[in-house]
Amino acid sequence: MELIINGELVTLDVHYLDEIVKHYGLDKNLVVMEVDGLIIDRSEWETTTVQAGMKIELVHFVGGG
Amino acid sequence: MKKDMLTIAGKELSSRFFLGTGRYPNPFVQNEAIKASGAEVLTFAIRRVNLDAPNEDAILQHLEGQKFTYLPNTSGAKNAEEAIRIARLAKASGISNWIKVEISANERTLLPDPIETLKATEVLAKEGFVVLPYTSDDPVLCKRLEEAGAAAVMPGGAPIGTGLGILNPYNIGLIVEEANVPIIIDAGLGSAADIVQAMELGVDGVLMNTPVAKAKDPVKMALAMKYAIDAGRLSYVAGRIPKKKYATASSAFEAFITK
Repeated sequence: MELIINGELVTLDVHYLDEIVKHYGLDKNLVVMEVDGLIIDRSEWETTTVQAGMKIELVHFVGGG
Repeated sequence: MKKDMLTIAGKELSSRFFLGTGRYPNPFVQNEAIKASGAEVLTFAIRRVNLDAPNEDAILQHLEGQKFTYLPNTSGAKNAEEAIRIARLAKASGISNWIKVEISANERTLLPDPIETLKATEVLAKEGFVVLPYTSDDPVLCKRLEEAGAAAVMPGGAPIGTGLGILNPYNIGLIVEEANVPIIIDAGLGSAADIVQAMELGVDGVLMNTPVAKAKDPVKMALAMKYAIDAGRLSYVAGRIPKKKYATASSAFEAFITK
C-alpha cells in the first residue's frame, strides 16, 4: 500500500506499524513514530494496523546543542 | 570542602557543564570529549530518520550503557506549536521528560523568538515537562519564563555558534540577581575566558556545543572548559575584591626601612 513516510511517498507491504520499523532495520528503542499527527506508543506498534495514505513520521535523536 | 551541587527539578548535578552532541569530527572524539568534560547533561536534536541510511545519525547508539540526563532540544521549530510537537516526540522516546525549548525565527542570527518561547514554555511546563528555554538575555523575559514554569532559564551569551562570548554581561548579572531558578548560559561562547566570565557573573551553569566540538582539539577544549567552570564558580563563591582606580600596597607602610 501507499504511505507517506517522512514526507516521501513509498509503497510497502505491511499490516502493522512494527513492520515498518523492521522494514527499515531500525532499532525500535531509538525511534519514535507519529501517525497522522498522533504519537503512537512503542507498545502499540504491534497491534496498530496500517492504512493506505497514512502520514507517518519516524524520528530519532541526532547530535545537537 | 562541601560539594557545590546544582539542582534542577529535583535532579542533583555535580557538574555545571551541559554539553551538546553536534558537529564533532567523529563519535570517538565526541565520547572522549564528553568524558573529559565531566558533563552529566547532554543535549540532542530530533530529526527525521534518513530512510536510505537509517542508523547513520542515531546518536544514542554511541552512548549506550552510560548514565546521563538527556536534554533534547526543539531546534528547527519556528513557533510554539512546532516546538510543542517536537517536545512531545522527544518525550515519547521514553528517555527523558526534559526539554530545551529552542525556537528560532531568523535563519541568519538563529536568535530565539521570545514570544513563541514563552508560549511553548507555559504549555510544556503544564504538561509536566522539565522545561529549559533557550532565550534572549533580557531580564524581564527571563523572569517571565520562570513564572511560566521553566525549571531553569537559559539566556544566550551571543548568537549560536558565533563564539563572541558574553555580549551583555550587565544583563546577565541582572538576570542572575533576580532569578529563583538556575540560570544557564546557552550559546555564543568561544573559549575558557568566556566561561570564567559567565560563572563569575553568578550563573549556575553553562551549555556549550560548537566551542568544544569545533575546537582544534575537542577533548582538550572540553577539559579546559571544565576547569574554567570550576575556576569561575569558585571565584564567584569566594567573592572578588572591588575594582578601584588607584593602588593599594600589599604590605603596610609602617616600619618602612628607608624612613
